[in-house]
Amino acid sequence: MSMIKKLLEQDSRLSGWRINETATKSYELFFVHKSLETVRATDTVTTNVTVYVDHDGKKGDSSFDVSAAMGEADVQKKIDAAVQRARLVFNEPYELPDGGELDRDMPSNVWDAEPKALGHAIADAVFAADTVPGGSINACEIFLYKDTIRVLNSRGVNKTERKGRVMIEAIPTFTEGKESVELYEDYRFTEFDGEKVTAEIARRMAEARDRFQAKKPQTPMEVNVLLRPHEIMELLWELADDLNYATVYSHANLHNAGDDLQENGVGDKLTVTLKAQVPGSESSSWFDADGGALTDTCVIKNGIVASLFGSTRFGQYLNVEKPTGNLPCMKAETGSLAENEMKKAPYLECASLSGLQLDLFNDYIGGEIRLAYWFDGEKAVPVTGISMSGKLSQVLANMRLSRESVTDGAYEGPALLLMPGMKVL
Amino acid sequence: MPFSTYLDGKRQDCRELVAALGKHFRYVSILGTDVTATAIRADRNMSMVQDGRGECGFVLKMHNGRSFIEYSLDDVSGDKQALAERIIRETAVDAALQSKMIEAPVPADEPMKQDFVRENDFADFDDASLLKTCKDISAEIIAKDEHVLNAIAVIQPYQVNKLFITKNRELSQHYGWANGIMIAIYRGEKIAQAREGDGAANLKDIIAMLHAGADKVIDLAKHLSTAKAIEPGVYDVITDPSISGLIAHEAFGHGVEMDQFVKDRAMAKHCMGQYVASPITNMHDGAAATHSVASYFFDDDGVLAHDTQIIKDGILVAGLSDLASAAQLGTAPTGNGRRDSYKRKAYARMTNTFFEPGQDKLEDMIASIQHGYMLFQTNNGMEDPKNWQIQCTAEYGIEIVDGKLTENYVSPVVMSGSVPDLLKSISMVSGNFKVIGAGMCGKGYKEWVRVSDGGPNLKVKVKLG
Repeated sequence: MSMIKKLLEQDSRLSGWRINETATKSYELFFVHKSLETVRATDTVTTNVTVYVDHDGKKGDSSFDVSAAMGEADVQKKIDAAVQRARLVFNEPYELPDGGELDRDMPSNVWDAEPKALGHAIADAVFAADTVPGGSINACEIFLYKDTIRVLNSRGVNKTERKGRVMIEAIPTFTEGKESVELYEDYRFTEFDGEKVTAEIARRMAEARDRFQAKKPQTPMEVNVLLRPHEIMELLWELADDLNYATVYSHANLHNAGDDLQENGVGDKLTVTLKAQVPGSESSSWFDADGGALTDTCVIKNGIVASLFGSTRFGQYLNVEKPTGNLPCMKAETGSLAENEMKKAPYLECASLSGLQLDLFNDYIGGEIRLAYWFDGEKAVPVTGISMSGKLSQVLANMRLSRESVTDGAYEGPALLLMPGMKVL
Repeated sequence: MPFSTYLDGKRQDCRELVAALGKHFRYVSILGTDVTATAIRADRNMSMVQDGRGECGFVLKMHNGRSFIEYSLDDVSGDKQALAERIIRETAVDAALQSKMIEAPVPADEPMKQDFVRENDFADFDDASLLKTCKDISAEIIAKDEHVLNAIAVIQPYQVNKLFITKNRELSQHYGWANGIMIAIYRGEKIAQAREGDGAANLKDIIAMLHAGADKVIDLAKHLSTAKAIEPGVYDVITDPSISGLIAHEAFGHGVEMDQFVKDRAMAKHCMGQYVASPITNMHDGAAATHSVASYFFDDDGVLAHDTQIIKDGILVAGLSDLASAAQLGTAPTGNGRRDSYKRKAYARMTNTFFEPGQDKLEDMIASIQHGYMLFQTNNGMEDPKNWQIQCTAEYGIEIVDGKLTENYVSPVVMSGSVPDLLKSISMVSGNFKVIGAGMCGKGYKEWVRVSDGGPNLKVKVKLG
């Protein structure tokens, strides 16, 4: 990186520059059933350079990758080509973030662990959940990552953060005779806790058994549908992404500051804060790709769009005095109903979806349900083979949020979200 | 454009590293990648010319007599013995896990030396001319209709160079592909985003496609700005080639990726030789099956491209394998071993996946429907190879009433249900045929590779919501 920095610093054609570098060491285990099929390790560095050229009252920029094997002459050629490209680009002027040195570790017990031993311990924790009669974990992939992320720019930004993180992809399966079903589990964390891993996989194993027993309920029906944290986060990010400075600048947004997202609503009012960090989340960061500081920002307050968010460039385009930075995590305020109150009336609680389908512009929310629990007022039974759909605006207006809160990946917020009157077929 | 000079210069380093590791492993291969991509984009306010998603590095695949070991690194220069020792050290497993390693046969290492090149016209176009095209297209769309809030035009050429070396095999390949897309953001009754796009082997075809598509994307945006929600139900449906391809990809393509057979994650494993679709259904996958975005000469395991017929006259006849899954199943690999990049593992993956054309005329297919929908443009889909559920989302549909397409647009349209029910409901197959080479495919929620899919128009009965 020092060679690249030297070449950029001495280039008088440039009005600015930025270097983003991510060095990753990984150790990876791939299991087929309980047998180890493949062991992988990686040791790679990704370096991306952006040059900025002020010309004709405008700013041009262009980015390129630098591979590890490139020498000084190779990098100089790339810079020359990028300068030519930047001169073709006539964008409105903006300033890069200035100053600021930082060197921080994201809290994690993964970073200092010996990879082989940790990989083994994680595998043991996963397969410790394989205790359900008829159940099995048919595949499991374990990824241990140590990332060193660095941003430098021409205005003195020099920031480094280190992250240790783990991703587990496990496939809990339930089989009886020739019939077999599975569910998908994608579990990410920065602090390894064997008991938590086992409990999480065991919960999914039990749901795989429930999927095996699930039947298609009588349809069509209109029913209250409960979403769990993963889907709540997807729904809230759909709303938040619409409020990004870049989306607004591109005229690709639906909502603006001051808009009421829950007009004429009778449900719980939505308050969402985008954050730099959520404890235990691999998405947590000290800075964004520009190297700018991240400022936690409430984007939706009591159902009203309170603020936009995003990168320093697009913030400046919208005349934002202090851009927030691209915030990677989210906190939503809890609602007024306890989970047991939500579950007094008939409901359909989604445990596994093929993927929540959201379309702000067409006012749509829906998706295919692989496993849900249908409570008819007396007892809850597992169901499958159905899909749901509804108007997103009506969901927002009338939704209820649980009083109980959970932390799940990059999301802190209500454990359940109730969508009244969804159509289920 | 010749093969990568960078990779050419690394041939001897690769050979020496393979030899050094060959003292410790029964099989060693190295894949070197030098993929360059460019992203050119213009809209009302901004423009961009920069490197796109490329890669440059190396990945080793070894077999220790029992199982597979891989190592990804950026460079292979320097002391090969020391590098080999480092690789062995960093890929070691905890002693207690060693006994749990699978016992798979050592892959064959058939001798072959060949350099593959597919020429393209990329050198005829410089950055300035491509950016001007994007700016002109964007400006043209904006100028045509005052309701257009913004118009985005994108051209993305990329060039693939890969070098594959084992003790007995040395292959190189060079080819390119380009994608073009335009998006109109339109304020009508509501704000709508419409897109048109495709891929091609030559940039002149992408530029022609973009110029020809401006009116079409505005017309689509107008209609989408009045689109209504569909009433959930089971309908007779005609698919455009994009949605036919999405069905082929999600309904059955993922289900015959044979690494899922090894893991007992695919119902298709138990259905070989059985009817899984209507008898008029024929489906293929393969880098050599057609010329599109995934038409490489050899896969990331060094296996030559195939054309695999997956479904023949409704009967499931074959699956898709990478080297590791084929070794475990005792079958020959089908040339479907693909990596997200040199940093990631090879899996059995789709390439170009499509249904074969049939005999029916599209107008007859539409005329055969009293009330239903014709579906257009892939948005996304999700596989469920174990349980054969399907979710495919189309950008929009047009209502068919009394055998005619109406002006009633619905958007989005989520198609779901059981894979066998859907495939067995195929009652008409058009003679039209198109493969769209602009897609990306994940395995689960990761491991992204470029794919194409398509086919003819199909008439099916399916749940829409």
